Amino acid sequence: MFGWFKNPPMPMNDIVRQYEAISPPSPKTKLRDVNFLALDLELTGLDAKQDHIVSAGWVPIRQQEIILGESAHYLVKSPIGVGQSAVFHGVHDHQLLQGMELCELLQLLLESYPGYILVAHHAVMDLAFLTMACQRCFGRSPKFNAIDTMRVEWQRLQRKGTVLTQNALRLPNCLERHHLPEAPQHHALADAFACAQLLISQIRQYSNAEMTLAELQALSR
Amino acid sequence: MEVTEVTSFLAQTTPFDQLDADQRQALARQMSVYYFRAGEEVNTASQRLMIVRTGVFSLYSDQQQLLTKLQTGDFYGYQQLLTELHDKDTLLCEEDGLVYWLPAEGFDHFRYQFKNIDLFFQRLFSRRLHQYKAQSTDRFTLKISDVAKARKVSIPPDATVQEAASMMSKQRVSSLLVEHDNKLVGIITDRDLRSRVVAEALPANTLVTEVMTERPETIDLHAYLFEAVQLMSQHNIHHLPVLRDEHIFGMITATDVIRAQQDHPVYLIGEIHRQHTEEGILQCASQIEHLSRSLSSQQVPAHEASHVLTTVTDALTQSWIKLAIAELGPPPCVFSWLGFGSQARMEQGLNADQDNALLLEKEPEGAVGQYFEQLAKIVCDGLNQCGIVYCPGNIMASNPELRLSLKGWSKQFGRWIQTPTPDALLKSSIFFDLRPIYGSKSLFNALKQDILARTVDRAVFLYHLSHNALKGSPPLGFFKTFTLERDGKQKKGLDLKKRGLILITDIARIYSLSKGIPAINTRQRLIQLAQHKVMDPKDSQNLLDAFDVLAQLRWDKHQHDISQGHEASNLLDPAVLSGLQRHQLKDVFEVINQAQSHLKYRFCREL
Repeated sequence: MFGWFKNPPMPMNDIVRQYEAISPPSPKTKLRDVNFLALDLELTGLDAKQDHIVSAGWVPIRQQEIILGESAHYLVKSPIGVGQSAVFHGVHDHQLLQGMELCELLQLLLESYPGYILVAHHAVMDLAFLTMACQRCFGRSPKFNAIDTMRVEWQRLQRKGTVLTQNALRLPNCLERHHLPEAPQHHALADAFACAQLLISQIRQYSNAEMTLAELQALSR
Repeated sequence: MEVTEVTSFLAQTTPFDQLDADQRQALARQMSVYYFRAGEEVNTASQRLMIVRTGVFSLYSDQQQLLTKLQTGDFYGYQQLLTELHDKDTLLCEEDGLVYWLPAEGFDHFRYQFKNIDLFFQRLFSRRLHQYKAQSTDRFTLKISDVAKARKVSIPPDATVQEAASMMSKQRVSSLLVEHDNKLVGIITDRDLRSRVVAEALPANTLVTEVMTERPETIDLHAYLFEAVQLMSQHNIHHLPVLRDEHIFGMITATDVIRAQQDHPVYLIGEIHRQHTEEGILQCASQIEHLSRSLSSQQVPAHEASHVLTTVTDALTQSWIKLAIAELGPPPCVFSWLGFGSQARMEQGLNADQDNALLLEKEPEGAVGQYFEQLAKIVCDGLNQCGIVYCPGNIMASNPELRLSLKGWSKQFGRWIQTPTPDALLKSSIFFDLRPIYGSKSLFNALKQDILARTVDRAVFLYHLSHNALKGSPPLGFFKTFTLERDGKQKKGLDLKKRGLILITDIARIYSLSKGIPAINTRQRLIQLAQHKVMDPKDSQNLLDAFDVLAQLRWDKHQHDISQGHEASNLLDPAVLSGLQRHQLKDVFEVINQAQSHLKYRFCREL
């Protein structure tokens, strides 16, 4: 079943080590100087142990600007059928055949964006799959730093005393609340981009003064 | 991989909607996305194009005047990218919003690669310049302070009416402010002296306070002129004291208001039609220069200004004809006074000469011939005196060869079309643009129909006409450099008329004649050619743009020449142009080059 991670090549360990060699910015860093990578994974299910990654999309944020030129979207080769989840992702098996090996994808991610703070909506899920995938590919996973735009939004609404209705924290609802353009759902890059826009909006909503990474991390708890 | 949110937005945003999907994706990849919070100021010095995705941004001039509001799909920063000059504007975010930044390299890359994108931003830029200048000169925003002079002519309330009358005549005013302790207590006008003093037989030592109008209507120095007009007509008064911060500043009269409106062309044209004497017409004609100056200072586009000037020439022509008829008695037959060339096309510049002729119902023999010879002489001489000088090529109604009956003209045009000699071809560029200025329209229409019927799909004629038109070419050298020429006075320059405007006019005329399009005005012709699918709409639009650019340059050049006390010249020294203008001008000449090769392909193939 997990044939795709058979025989992980040994130098893969170096990839994690190199990623860890570049330390994330200190908590006191002003957000303007923090590099973020907004990330979204499309999954076959919710369980990191059983399900797997179908596709990944990301786009970096530097100097609080979303850099469209580095936006990326990859389909992941999978040994098993996408099955029912194709209904959601619009990604069909024949497309996946042309996809990328998961390990290659992780390597690309870790080599390109060390020292970046990951950003995701409901980040727990994405991090769990990412960590699990790294363990399978490289034998171990780095500890990822991430900001969860859903948590930030939750705290923001709590502070304002807003009563949360069901779905209030779903990405489309958040985008609407921030008057941001809506994103076509369940496309990894579109969602990553929407998440990036949500983050820069959230940062601006808090204060006009310069915020530090620590302050943002506190909001993301 | 593209972010569809961005590319689909670009697909809906002019001018990027013209790109195909791959190009749009390449464009998107050059961009970054930034979020502005309400109240934040945009750094206007960054060398990037800003595209508003969401939110509202207000643009203020350095005098803190709101120039415009930018919303979804609007741009900022192109002015700097095009000119490399830093604006002193302030751009303030008013509602939170997302913007896309496109760096200078990306902007330039797409601008050079896609002419329409370049043209779009250049046009946006010129429109914005317009927006800046329009601020101060717009007729509707004239203020009292633009018109009223700080001239306070006042008298105390305990003066006598005799003193008031003597002060009025000494100061040459029709009204006085009545002032007490630096406060306005009333006004007294010459009408008051007439109706309240003389008509009532009051003595000369009557006090001003007894006959003045107490607590008159007033207007603030900073009010708009039209508010004064409103007050005056509402209360049927002709004088309004002007106050500044509650203190007396001066007086504004109905005459001041009218004088402020006099620059309007309608005023001059109406005035011309009211004239019944030679002196009167000449007096009006002397105001043409002033009119053109004011058109220019009000940033009226060149083609509209030309239209106005042509209308003035028409009015002058009509007045001279009426004057001639008053002198010579009623004409012996129906006739039509024809205007040719630029007058017919409504494209007269400031240095236009006469191009006219007479179309008569009867043959110009005997008494009929004599009458119109005299009429033509009066009108042509009159126009010459008005500054619309004699035609050096003698294309004027005073030339007996150009006073013909319908049959005579029809034969003449027939000859030009059948046997296009070099001389006939030269003339065709003038004679085939014609318009009735005075007299019978139906007589004219008969001739017009006759001509159009002869030219449609007349391959040999069109071949020669095109061949002739292609003899002139835009002044671009092999390496896209301007080729300059000299005029008689050894001044070097680009001939905007001969090497530009005329070439476009010729192209529009040939296509129109080939399909019987009745329009005469070059812009109208180009529009109708696209509508009737004779010309590709894009080509027509390009030529129209090129024509406007050249006409504007020529108009500005003429204004400049005249203001410097020189004769208006069509030779433009490219050194006086900005980099942007030079670039634009080369584009214009390229467009003409293109259109000429299309013309050649269409009409000059082997017959």
